[in-house]
Amino acid sequence: MTQQGAAGQLAMVFDLNKCMGCQTCSVACKVLWTREEGEEHQWWMSVNTQPGLGTPKAWEDMGGGWRDDTPVPGHQPTRAEFGGGWDFNYQEVLFGGRGRDAHLQPVDRGDGTTRWGMNWDEDQGGGTYPNSYYFYLPRLCNHCTRPVCVSACPSGAMYKRHEDGIVLRDESVCQGARFCMEACPYKKISFNYVRGVSQHCIACFPRLEEGVAPACARQCPGRLVFVGDAADPAGPIHRLVHEWKVALPLHEEYGTGPNIFYVPPLSPYRLHDDFSVDEETPRIPPEYLESLFGPRVHAALDTLRDEMATVRSGGTSELLDTLIVYRWHDLFGPYTVDPAGLDRSPERVAVQLGRTRAGATEGE
Amino acid sequence: MTDLTALELGAEALAPDDPAWAAAPPVTVPLVPVPVDAQRNAYVRAAWRDRPYGATPSASVSVATHGDRLLMRLEWDGSGPIAGEFPDACAVLFPQGDGPADPVTMGDHTSPVLVWQWRDRLPIQKGMPAVRHLVSTGPGMFRPAPDGASLDAASSVDGIRWSVVLTGPRSALGDRGRVAVAVWNGANEERAGIGAVSSEWSAVQA
Ligand code: SF4
Ligand code: SF4
Repeated sequence: MTQQGAAGQLAMVFDLNKCMGCQTCSVACKVLWTREEGEEHQWWMSVNTQPGLGTPKAWEDMGGGWRDDTPVPGHQPTRAEFGGGWDFNYQEVLFGGRGRDAHLQPVDRGDGTTRWGMNWDEDQGGGTYPNSYYFYLPRLCNHCTRPVCVSACPSGAMYKRHEDGIVLRDESVCQGARFCMEACPYKKISFNYVRGVSQHCIACFPRLEEGVAPACARQCPGRLVFVGDAADPAGPIHRLVHEWKVALPLHEEYGTGPNIFYVPPLSPYRLHDDFSVDEETPRIPPEYLESLFGPRVHAALDTLRDEMATVRSGGTSELLDTLIVYRWHDLFGPYTVDPAGLDRSPERVAVQLGRTRAGATEGE
Repeated sequence: MTDLTALELGAEALAPDDPAWAAAPPVTVPLVPVPVDAQRNAYVRAAWRDRPYGATPSASVSVATHGDRLLMRLEWDGSGPIAGEFPDACAVLFPQGDGPADPVTMGDHTSPVLVWQWRDRLPIQKGMPAVRHLVSTGPGMFRPAPDGASLDAASSVDGIRWSVVLTGPRSALGDRGRVAVAVWNGANEERAGIGAVSSEWSAVQA
């Protein structure tokens, strides 16, 4: 099993109790990194309604990851399973004289891509009225501690960066073999059909190197995304994950050691058939949350409920104060620099874009 | 060992159906799957241990030279123009230095192999090079070759029958004058070290 030593490990915590599914994180990433030809369908950051089939469609059934130190064969998600990246019939509706009888819609290229897309099953959720429920799950590459994607790449194009443990790819070496896409159990790698290379979240490394938080975290209006070094004992990530144990990895059983953690969602109580409140039963089935976040989710939710009860009865809670985030910058650890003040000349942007394609291996 | 005799052409006949190729009789080169146990990557071994691949039995190979250029025409039955996620592809392999004993592992760390690889491309992929210049140190362990040799390729397909001409510097043959060929069946998701390769080196008589 590949476990490559890293001097530090970038980690993030998403507090799902505050996520409103606005997709600002997804769009912040999209406009920054995947605007070019071949990247139309790529969402390195995606937010899905849970329960749901997610992005790509039914990704949790696609295999990959590690079992007993052996890589598990996985399915390579297809262009149709990602969906999206649509062209619309603007010409027909706006300029083709059919404005009254044609409606704006994605052009069906016959490849199945118009029948799915990022967050296709938005707000469908689970349960039945009056006990329907849903919550949002933002997902990006987990920059795993045991990145099976790196192990699966025969050409050595992928690596885990020593200084901060982020997982990168040198596109000049990538042969487009896509074993990484099969092996990644989170299915967070996409293929660029125009350039013939795989691509995934680069953790905004050009921003990190200048002290700026990743775009998904900094742009989040819910102010719920913590960024920092997982091992910094004074940082909120370490405390949320290791001390309070309220932030958990998604599908830890996949075996890759994810470094994105989630504070699981609390839920309202169920209603009885007569619409009286069932105070014993949360609306989101605990077993569903366990299927995502493992058996520790119950203790995590108990801790959150206990701390809330403490505050309600007049006490204080350092945990809740941390999750409330009174000061925005407290989310970002060492990454509090405002990007507006940085050199964003075309020359500098071109250099940085080159470095993202070379997986940061190109000197400046 | 299959010998290949190179014909000196009066012009660089890149087109697979150039009449000049009629004078270079094709030789059938037998192919075998790259062994699954030779794959140096635990993921690839796990994913392909029980999956058949590399079943293309042979390729028809013609060799020609034109001055300092080497031209290799490969013809084989593949799966036809790219229809799924992976393309049909072919390559010529040249052992470097002493070279490995046989080509089936596509080289190793001490005996790298130079690779000229052609892949079928989607219309949107015309910005990608027709042929890639690679150094291989094992099955699918391809990295870009350090020097920028001028390579080119042209292809035609009739149903599932490919005819591809690869051309590059004759110096790739080195002193030993040996080559191997490889093909990948795209419909079977073959790529990297998952493919069919010559079971032994062929000597090129220039
Ligand atoms: S989430 Fe997937 S792509 Fe990202 S490091 Fe883990 S295995 Fe690799
Ligand atoms: S920007 Fe924040 S609140 Fe909006 S979807 Fe993303 S994580 Fe949730």
